[in-house]
Order: sequence, then C-alpha cells, then structure tokens
Amino acid sequence: MSVAELKERHMAAAETVNSLKERLKQKRLLLLDTDVARYARSQGQTRVSFGLTDLVCCRTLQGHTGKVYSMDWTPEKNRIVSASQDGRLIVWNALTSQKTHAIKLPCAWVMTCAFSPSGQSVACGGLDSMCSIFNLNSQTDKDGNLPVSRVLSGHKGYVSSCQYVPDEDTHLITASGDQTCVLWDITTGLRTSVFGGEFQSGHTADVLSVSINGSNSRMFISGSCDSTARLWDTRVASRAVRTFHGHEGDVNTVKFFPDGHRFGSGSDDGTCRLFDIRTGHQLQEYNQQHDDNEAPHVTSIAFSTSGRLLFAGYTNGDCYVWDTLLAEVVLNLGKLQNSHDSRISCLGLSADGSALCTGSWDSNLKIWAFGGHRRVH
Amino acid sequence: MSLEVAIVVEDAVEYSFAMEYHGPPITRELPRAVPINVDRIPVASVVSPLPFPDSLSLPVVQPISAADIIGKKLIKDLKLSSSSAELLTVSPTSVIAFESQNNEVSEGSYSKELGLGTETSVSPSSVINASVESETENRSSNDICALSGELSSDFECCNRDDVLSGVNERGYSSISHDEFVGGVGSSGVLESSDSFEKSMEFSGSLRKSRLSGAYKETLDFNESNRTDWESNESVLSVDYLSSRVSSRKFGDGNQDSGGGDVRRAPVVTFCDIESDDENVDDDYSRSEPEVVRMKKEPAAKVRKGACYRCLKGNRFTEKEVCMVCDAKYCNNCVLRAMGSMPEGRKCVTCIGYPISELKRASLGKCSRMLKRLLNDLEVKQIMKAEKFCEVNQLPPEYISVNGRPLYHDELVMLQSCSNPPKKLKPGNYWYDKVSGLWGKVGQKPLQIITPHLNVGGPVKANASNGNTQVYINGREITKVELRMLKLAGVQCAGNPHFWVNEDGSYQEEGQKNTKGFIWGKAGTKLLCAVLSLPVPSKSSDLCGEQISSSISRSMPDYLEQRVIQKLLLIGYSGSGTSTIFKQARILYKDIPFSEDEREHITLVIQSHVYNYIGILLEGRERFEEESLHELRQHQSCDGPDGDVDGNGEETPYSIGPRLKAFSDWLLKIMASGTLEAIFPAACREYAPLVEELCSSVAFKATYKRRHELESLPSISSYFLEQAVEILKPDYKPSDLDILYAEHVTSSNGLACVDFSFPEPVYDGDDSGDLHDSLLRYQLIRLQAKGFGENCKWLEMLEDVRVVIFCVSLSDYDQFALDGDGNRVNKMMLSKKFFENMVTHPTFDQMEFLLLLNKLDSFEEKIEQVPLTKCEWFDDFHPVISRNRSNSNNSNHPTLGQLGFHYVAVKFKRLFAALTGRKLYASAVKALDPTSVDTALKYAREVLSWDEERPNVSLSEYSIYSTEASSFSH
Repeated sequence: MSVAELKERHMAAAETVNSLKERLKQKRLLLLDTDVARYARSQGQTRVSFGLTDLVCCRTLQGHTGKVYSMDWTPEKNRIVSASQDGRLIVWNALTSQKTHAIKLPCAWVMTCAFSPSGQSVACGGLDSMCSIFNLNSQTDKDGNLPVSRVLSGHKGYVSSCQYVPDEDTHLITASGDQTCVLWDITTGLRTSVFGGEFQSGHTADVLSVSINGSNSRMFISGSCDSTARLWDTRVASRAVRTFHGHEGDVNTVKFFPDGHRFGSGSDDGTCRLFDIRTGHQLQEYNQQHDDNEAPHVTSIAFSTSGRLLFAGYTNGDCYVWDTLLAEVVLNLGKLQNSHDSRISCLGLSADGSALCTGSWDSNLKIWAFGGHRRVH
Repeated sequence: MSLEVAIVVEDAVEYSFAMEYHGPPITRELPRAVPINVDRIPVASVVSPLPFPDSLSLPVVQPISAADIIGKKLIKDLKLSSSSAELLTVSPTSVIAFESQNNEVSEGSYSKELGLGTETSVSPSSVINASVESETENRSSNDICALSGELSSDFECCNRDDVLSGVNERGYSSISHDEFVGGVGSSGVLESSDSFEKSMEFSGSLRKSRLSGAYKETLDFNESNRTDWESNESVLSVDYLSSRVSSRKFGDGNQDSGGGDVRRAPVVTFCDIESDDENVDDDYSRSEPEVVRMKKEPAAKVRKGACYRCLKGNRFTEKEVCMVCDAKYCNNCVLRAMGSMPEGRKCVTCIGYPISELKRASLGKCSRMLKRLLNDLEVKQIMKAEKFCEVNQLPPEYISVNGRPLYHDELVMLQSCSNPPKKLKPGNYWYDKVSGLWGKVGQKPLQIITPHLNVGGPVKANASNGNTQVYINGREITKVELRMLKLAGVQCAGNPHFWVNEDGSYQEEGQKNTKGFIWGKAGTKLLCAVLSLPVPSKSSDLCGEQISSSISRSMPDYLEQRVIQKLLLIGYSGSGTSTIFKQARILYKDIPFSEDEREHITLVIQSHVYNYIGILLEGRERFEEESLHELRQHQSCDGPDGDVDGNGEETPYSIGPRLKAFSDWLLKIMASGTLEAIFPAACREYAPLVEELCSSVAFKATYKRRHELESLPSISSYFLEQAVEILKPDYKPSDLDILYAEHVTSSNGLACVDFSFPEPVYDGDDSGDLHDSLLRYQLIRLQAKGFGENCKWLEMLEDVRVVIFCVSLSDYDQFALDGDGNRVNKMMLSKKFFENMVTHPTFDQMEFLLLLNKLDSFEEKIEQVPLTKCEWFDDFHPVISRNRSNSNNSNHPTLGQLGFHYVAVKFKRLFAALTGRKLYASAVKALDPTSVDTALKYAREVLSWDEERPNVSLSEYSIYSTEASSFSH
C-alpha cells in the first residue's frame, strides 16, 4: 500500500469520524431538552442572595514576591500551601495568617502545589518536568532550606497540576504538558500508570488540570488544551472512560462536584460547564455575557460543600460566585472591597467549606469567609 | 453646628453692651470701630444639606450593579479620591475625631456620590476637566508649601506643646470613640474601614502611584504628597489642604464641647481655607521628612500606654511595636493589625516602608508576646522575613563613606565583600581603599575590611581627625595609631607620609622600596588589641581569592534577586541549544557534571552508539539487498546461462551468521523500542561482538556510505569512530564526548545553570569589572517541543533579560515533518518559531540575541548546496570575486561568511518588521568553547547596552543600520 493511498484512507477515516461526531452532537442537542437552570426555574427555585457581610475578605496572606500560581488547603487543619513565581512554596496558617514554612525551590518555575492528605508533606511541579515532594517535618539544611524528600521524574513536559489521592499519602496524580497524566507511587518514586500519551486514546494536547473524585478515588478527571475533559479509571490506564466535549478553548481547570457524579470545568472560552460523568452530557453552561467579545478566561474553579455555589476565577481579576442551579452570578468577589488587584490564578475551598482562599498575580492570597453578623434586609 | 453658632451669637450680645463714658474729654482721636464684613468671617456655611439623623443612617454601601460599572467607575474614582483626600487630614491632635469622620465621609460620600452619579450623569469629560483644574491648583499649592519651609521648626515646638496639653482631650475623644464603636457594632466598623481602604485604592489607581504597596496605606499622607509634588499628577493636594484645616477645626470644636458628639465631624469639612495659610505651612513642615526617606507616623495617636487598635490597656500591658511607625498593639490586636507580617513586625499599613533606624538593633529579635501567640515555625518565619527582606535593609543613603552617601550598588558591594564592615549602622565613615582601614569619621580606625572596593569618594586627610601630621595613604592618623606605629617599630620621625597596603607592607610616599610590614611582628597584633585598633582578619590574607570566594558565598535573597540576570536560550529542536548549554557548563563551572550525571550520560551515550550501530546495520541490509540485486542484474545481463549460486553470492556488505544473528537481534530490539531497558546488561555481554562487527568489512563498507542513511545523525561518526572504547563497561565519557552527545541533558522541559564570567586576566583595577564579577547569570534552556500554539507558561519567564534565539545555519537544506505531517524546510520551521516567540506578549520589549549556530558545517555545506534551496533565501545572489583561487585574504569574504551575513540580515529585517526594534545577531560554533564564550559575553554586552540605552542608542543604531543596508538584495 503506497503512502499516498494510506493518506487518502486516513483522510477519509478522519472525515467519517468528524461527521459521526457532528451527528452525535446533533443527537445530544436533540435529546437535551432542558438544562439545569431552566429546570430549576420551572421548579420555582430562587437564586441565592448574598448579604453585605456574608462573604468578606478576612485575611490577606502577604509574603510572596511574585505571582501566585497555585494553592491548596490541608484536608484537616487550616493550613494552606501556595506556590509562586518567586520560586517559593509557602505554607500558611490560615487562622493566624502566618507562614510556617517558606521553601525555596531548586527550580523556580513552579506551576502547581498540593498538600498531602496527612498534612505532613507538600508536592509541587513546574517547568522542570518533575514533581518534588517536601516533607515538612524534615530538618532544614544550613541555609535554612527544606531538602527535597523525593523527586518524581519521568514526565517529558512541564507538570501543570498535581493532586494527592485522597486518604493516601503515597499516591499522587500529576498532569503534564506531555499530554499524559501519571499516577505515582511516592514511596518508590516510580510511575504506577500512565494515562494517555503513546496510544491515541488520551489527550491530544497539554493536560492542564486533574481532579480526583472525592467519593471514589479511583476515578479522576483531566482537562486539556485539546478543549476536552476526560474521565479516567486508575485501574484502566489504556484508555479514557469518557471524553467530554463542549468547550471551545483550552480547559484550564476541572473540579469534581462534591457528590462525585458531576464535575465542573473552566476554559479559555470564558465559560464554566457542569458535566455529568454517568451520562457524559453537559448539564449546564455558566457564561457571563461581556460587552466586548473578548471574554476573560476561567483560570480556576471550586464548588461549595453543598455544590450550590461555584466559585470561578477569571483572568481579568473577577471572581464570580455562580448559583449552580440557576446559572446566575450572585456575587463578584473581584468587585468587593479588599479584592485582588490582578488576575485570580487559583482558588480553593477549605475542607470544612467555611473559607475560600484565592491566589492572585498581585502576589497575595486572600481568605474569604462569612463576615459574621447577618443584616436584616 | 447651628446650635454652636447660636451660642456665639448670644455671647456676642452679652459683651456688646456699651457703657456710657463719664471721664474727661479726650484729646486724641478715638479709634473707630471698623465695620465687620460679614462675608469675610469664616463661617461653616453649607451645613444644612446634612441634618444629623440623616448622616447617621447614611453609611450604607449600595450594591454595585454589574451593568454600567465602567461608566460609574470614573465618577466613583473621582469622588472617592476626593473623599479619600479628605482622609489625608490627620493633624496630630484630632486623630480620633478624624477617624470617625473619615468613616462617615468615605462611606457617606461614597454611596451618596454614586446616587448622584446616576442621577446627574456626570460625563467623563467633565471629570477630566475637574482633574485638570485641580492639577493646576495643585501646582499653586505646591508653591505655597515650598515657600513656607522656614516655618517648620516653629511649628515643631508648638506642635509638641499641643501634644503635651492635648493628652486629656485625647483621652476624652478616645472614649467617645469607644462608645461610637460599641454603638454600631463590630461588623459595621470592619466594613467601614474596608470601604476606606477601598477608597484609598481607588485614589491610588487614579494617581497611578508607582509605589506599589503604598495602596493600602490608610494614612500614608507624607508619602503620597511627596509623589504628588514630584509628579504634579495628583488631584489630591487641594483637597488635602482644605480638609486638613477643617479637621483641625473640628478638633478644636471637639475640645470645646468636651469630647462631645463625634458624628458632627463631616459637617465641618466644607469650610473655606484660603485665609488659613499658617496652618497649611505647619502641616507641610510636619510632613516634610528630615531625611530623604520619609518617616511614618502611627495611624492613630492614642492615650499613652493604650493599644493603638482597641484603645484599651495601660502601659503595663504587654505590647508589640511596629518597626516603622512605633504603634503599639496588645495581645488581641497584634495579629489583626500586623496581618501576615511579610516584612516582620509592621502594621499592615506600614508594609513597604523602611524601618525606624532606632529599631534596627531589635531587628529579628523576637518578643515573648509573639512567641506566646504563635508557634515556633511561624515566629521563625517572621523573624527571617524581618531580617532579610529588602525594605528592612540599611538604606544606602544613610551611610556616607568619605563624605559621599552610598548608592545601592555600593552598599551591596560593601556588604557582600569577603570581609564586610561589622554591624554597619547609619553614619559617616571613612574608608582607606588601599589598606582597607575603615572607621567612623573623626575617629580612629575600627576595622580592616576588604580593600579596593569602589565605594564613596577618596579618603580625606582629616577623616579620622588626627593631629599627628603623620599620614597613612593621605589620611592624617590619630595619636593612638601613631603610638602603635612607633611601638611596632615604624620610623615616624619627621612626619612621614606612609603608603600602606592591605597586607601591612608600608613604604614612604614617593619611594619604591617597601620598608617593612606593620603587622609582621607577633606583638603588634596584641598591641593593637590593647589599643583597640583593628588588625587584618584572616580572610584578607587570601586577597587573591577574594573575588571567587565572594561569588561562591551564598548571598541573601534580596541581593540575589537583584544580581542574577536571566538569559533564556531557545531554539527549534536541533539548533544546538543543548550543546551551547553544555558548553556553558563546561566553560564556567568548576564541576560541570556531577558523578551521577556522568553515570547517566555514560548510559545515554552507550545506548546512542548501539542505536547508531543499529541504523548502520539496517543500512547494511539495504545495501546488501541492493548490491545483490545489482549483482543479479549484472549476472543476468552477462548471460542467462551464468551459473547462479545463491549461497555463493558475496557482496561487500555480507556478514557472517554470528554477526547476522546479533544484527537481527539488535534490529528487533530497536524496532520494539526497548533498547534503553535492556542494554546496560547487554553492554558487557555484547562488547566483543560489537568489536568484531566494527572490524568487519561489511560494516566498514556501510560506514563509508553513511551519508546515504538519512536517519543517522552527522554527529554519530564522532562516536562510531571510537565505538569499541565507548561500549566497554568501564567507559568514562570525556567532556568532549558529553558535548558531542545528544539528549544527555535532561531534555524534557527546562534546565538552568547559574554562572558568572570569570575574572578577566588583565589588571583588576577597573572597578567596573570588579562589579561585573559580582553579577551572576542564569542561562535557562528550554526545549522547543513545549512551545505550543498558546503556550500558557511562557509568561512565567517574563523576568528574563535577554532571549537568546538559536538557529542552526546548516538547516537550510534539511527537512522535517511539521505538525500536519508535511515536509517542511527546517529553516522555515525555525523562522516560524522565531516569529511566534518574537511576537509573544511575554517577550514584548525584550531584547533578542540571534545566534546562528553551526557556522562550521554551514561553511562546508554552502560550497556544495546553494543557499537558495530554502525558499526564504531565494534572493541570495552573492557577488563572488572572479579570482576565487586567491581570495583567501581577509578582504574577500568567503561564501560562508556572505551566507551568514545574508541570513542574519534576513532575520534582522524580519525582527524589525515584527517589532520595530533591532535584533542582535552573532555567529557561533557550539562545539568551539571560545565561540560560545564570545557569544555569551555578547549577551552580557547586550544587557549593558540595554541599561545604557538612553545615552548611546542613536550612534549604536547607526552602526547596525549601515551593516544592514550594506547587504541589499
């Protein structure tokens, strides 16, 4: 078979695939007679309302000298780890707003960080294509720096996101610019399984984000520059369980819904979307219309504990609080008093759901919480 | 207020009874009562619009609707700036009153103005007008202030009186404030202060303050005013004047009414001030800092001993002090008031300000209170931040050496030298650069520091205030020193002028011969200790290695960030960035590769060699088939009757069955892609086989035809020549091997190396070079593979200073598959990548240095393959001199040089078309160390040009433009 003939057949096959995809999309649209918002409205749901003091900035964590790129809460205590362009990881006590550790990284270009479930160690990854683990209890060296306790190397591209498998201090999932996600065994430092990559079953562009299902830690979601999100089963590395289309830009962030049956995603197309992992359907799109056609990208999302609220950070410094049922913006943290001066790059909800932490390119992190004292309207 | 006026009126009535005059007739003229012009009496006129009950209910922040926010924002900005300008009104006596006033004002006016904005729809143009007006007014106020500088000292005194006498009143007002707080509830207070900060931020954005971090300064008046006066941009000053006076007035009123109603405050702010020049002067003088750096006053003056935030407690309660403004906070408030303490113990509002010099001694020394409040780790972090953050470092202008205040660079040099002055405090110092003697002005030497530092001016004769008429290095020494010299056995008769070097050798001025060593004798050092004179420290004995030691010393971060210059090295894959990177490591690092790395590299090189052999064997099979085919054809041509014996066929490419088996095995392994996995074990086993193979005729014959094998990289010949040695188990790669090897540096993602250029060999007297050696560079290499269409992380590299873009010159006839699977010229791929990088927003305004790599192979290749093979270079028509045979002299450039210049100009034009700026370009041979060294030094030059750009840009540009224009096509 000649190369030309092969090419021709390949073209034909690709065309078929595209047409099938299009048919699938049409069929889906046909079946999708409603979305969450319309249904909720028909059920007479009213939107969540916010009082003036219901969400106020109660702490400002200053200490980074560069853009903050990533943050994570500990599951049990009120501690936060943040990673910044100044090449440092800082571990904060969110209650006192003090630093407990400032870790100078061997590679300054860090993109992501994560707290281990036990709160004993932190992980970070970045342009050095490695994921470094720091044990917070280990002794500092003579310059006062915390030594790296383990390096997970094997990715062929930058490490864009990492998350510990819940309740396991020994396993971690990373997403990388080499189009793969990897499940690591930290004790051995080896890859347990690689998701995607060589076989054309995974993402076809850089993977930017992972989120592990809180109720079933075998399942995780990855979001990628190929504008899809994929659902993976850690036992089946060879192919994705499901692929979620819908976004029209890079999927920057994915986050599981608290019940574990749905997940949210945020993208360069300026929208957040809610997908159902059982049906594979998109449930709702969260899109704020902007006057100018240049919609700000979504950088990071988080759900409230009940799932009723979706916090989404945008590149223009806005941070919308969406009512997930009615798909309406109920509050914009970016326009509140004391808000960030610059792009919100990361956000996360504390484990008990009582506080939201946002990290921004203005080099600060802010903690938002109920400001006490609800006023009578 | 109207009530008060009424009282005044009543009073006036009381005293205006005219008594009848019964005395003798008066000869002189009676003084006539001048009629009072009612208009000119300063009356708090515009009172009525805000009756009190309303003003109480005012502070409600209206929710901002998302729509037409932008339209409102302008208005809001303006209004808020004015309201915040009113906040700039702290006079020391009336702070408490002011605080509450400000809460009300900012909130009240905030919401009110919003409403107003929507109703009357102030157009943006009017806003601009207003700002312009106030700008001019600002200028005039500026004049006033400038004129009134002399009055400053007077005011200082009376101000102090005020403070003394005003303690009581302050107590009053603070109490009333407490009540006020209690009445509203804590949330209300929080909120209002929030809004206040917000308004400050707005005003900050309006005046585009360059002082980042000054935004949240609630009471940062001095600073903001200073910038205003410098820039004349702000709209604040006029308001500032008026409101200051008003609040002062209010303070008075408050005292009269005995700490009465605080909420009256906003009413008075509409007062006119044109007549009130004196107050204005006073205030200005107060805000005028004594030194260039401003001093911050605490945000609030409170009763002595009380906490500055909760206003409770007495002088016996334990408190933490702000390092900047001296505000004291109690146990409960300190964490709130100081926040996350990114710069140590400072109020949130003081962050970014230099600490008070009085408190420098307590820097990094923790109090018991913090230890109790926070855990050890937290305290440690705070103290570390306090000690090492940049703002808390000694300001250079506070240190004057030989009569000249230092610049920042000089201070850095002074502190980072191998033997720095101990416990440097602000003050005037003298420094003898030749001997390294260091002391306070007017005093004997304190210490001997590193000599030859280029800090301060030349040492003065009277620097140490000596009167002995004996001079050391042009400084008249003190009596103590003279005694020491005498005791050390130095002849001091006849008031000699000595010339003392850092090692203690001395000579008389004007004479060449060294007379001796001051510290040569053992007793001298003891003597110096007795006389408390300095002796050279041990480290200065090794003055030769000073510079290297200062480099290897770990620097504090605040210095490091300033000193390290980042160079980004990028290029399309195969452009030789990794070779340049390795070369830089070999050039500038003492240990270019660690043992671990070498071990890893050995494995990589060996597997590569197996790979090359595999490719050759593949080629061999092909060649064998071909030649067999040819042979058959040949035979069949010869005649059909030719006896063809399959087994007897022998081509130069045939190998024996044992080697054949090995070859098949290797090819199978390669095809399955598991070569790396199995071969370390295979290495030992197959080494003899490989040796046999390499010596076989077939292998050599194939090797001769290696140019026909496209997949075999050109560099392979270097390794294949010594394949037998490399594949031995005990092989250790040389630096050259590493340099030649591909994919040995961690090829995925980013690699960086810190280095500094070694000291130039010529005499180091030139201070610029000494300083340069302090500069450190970081070469960052990035793999091209990662640069996707919309590469998200490139913005992380915005702090690099120069982008070194690497292009392989010899790529012009090479082809590679692009993303869509088309065969594209590699030069075109490089060009596309170059365009992407140059136009990337992160690299906007960044300097680019183009390195055209592989000049050596390019020069060879261009003689055989025309440059026009690449479509971008199709207009390359070099003028080649006819008599090429004798064109080897330098006047006639070779074809290779012409080609290089042509390509460079092509890229320069492309760059200029894309950015309108100029591209630096240089040729480089990555395998040649000197060439890489030159290229990286060129990058350093680019950096220094960049710094000096304002001075030289014109002339420099002309040089380059001529170069560019000399190659027309």
